[in-house]
Amino acid sequence: MNVKVYSTPTCPWCTVAKKYLSSKNIAFEEVDVSNDRTAAMELVRKSGQRGVPVIEIGDNVVVGFDQSRIDSLLNL
Amino acid sequence: MYDVAIIGKGPAGISASLYTSRAGLKTLVIGKKSRLINAHKIDNYYGFIKSIDGRSLLEQGELQAERLGVEIIEDEVLSVQRDSVFEVKTSSATFLSRAVLIATGNPPRPPLVKGAEQFEGNGIHYCVSCDGFFYRDLRLGVLGSKDYAVHIALDLLNYSPNVTIYTNNRPLELSDRYLDGVKKFTVNNKAISLLDGNNTLERIVFRDETHDPVDGIFVAEGSASSIDFARKLAIAVEADTIPVDQYQKTNIEGVFAAGDCTGGIKQIATAVGQGAAAGKSIVEYLNKKKEE
Repeated sequence: MNVKVYSTPTCPWCTVAKKYLSSKNIAFEEVDVSNDRTAAMELVRKSGQRGVPVIEIGDNVVVGFDQSRIDSLLNL
Repeated sequence: MYDVAIIGKGPAGISASLYTSRAGLKTLVIGKKSRLINAHKIDNYYGFIKSIDGRSLLEQGELQAERLGVEIIEDEVLSVQRDSVFEVKTSSATFLSRAVLIATGNPPRPPLVKGAEQFEGNGIHYCVSCDGFFYRDLRLGVLGSKDYAVHIALDLLNYSPNVTIYTNNRPLELSDRYLDGVKKFTVNNKAISLLDGNNTLERIVFRDETHDPVDGIFVAEGSASSIDFARKLAIAVEADTIPVDQYQKTNIEGVFAAGDCTGGIKQIATAVGQGAAAGKSIVEYLNKKKEE
């Protein structure tokens, strides 16, 4: 399943989310929205809000580091 | 560099400092006056034949800690960040430490202005380092009237030059350090009626029926709380309290919490007990780090 993490370098929860996925050996694409206005707008459109991290797992969008939802979507 | 910075100088923070200082750790306690100062008669705390008032109990605790080598500073902590070590910024200085204990109590949060809840995440925000970049060069507001509001407004200048401080009819109460900083901003003292918009925040409406267009508001009312520190450090929060394990550890390495900010029973004895556990855990944590 494709996993994409929308994040910024200064967001503490983004670091936690990326570390968590790595610790579970989940490969993910990282999108730094602080340097990419188009990606930032894509994030707002997909998640309906302006905040990071946003984790896209397949067709599902997880706002914030919601570990139980991530676990459930990735069958962890 | 301190071994441990303890934020909060109530019973939990001071109790922890007794353990860390006696273990030889360089200990700094920073905080404003504990709310316990208002208690005029305490009869349910161990060891006092006669009633004691909150002020006396706090004073004795601080004197005891100072006798053991703890450095105590009365100041407002504005932010805690982590790099290779922790950076604790107050109204007047910045301190570095290897571990942090959050023992800030759990004062009631001021009610949000009308309409704010509707725009949380879509115009109402709390963490500049998390969400500030969404508002690059847009119209920004900070809701607040104290040092913390100016601190947040200065942070926002990294994203937009267009930042206004909205005090919502409160007078500005700033320490000397922020008197110059506040001059960089327009300060609007009008009473706020509501926050308005469609899907996202668009305007702030005042009681005099005028309004300001605004794209984002960062809430910085009162003083920075345990929850504000938690946001910056990525500490888990549940129902405005910080969950900890039996050793007072949070989910973030090197960060501990004790007392009312962790929820549960809000009693002096509980806070002192949690402070003791936190102090012992911090000693163990830093000793292990030294061995690594």
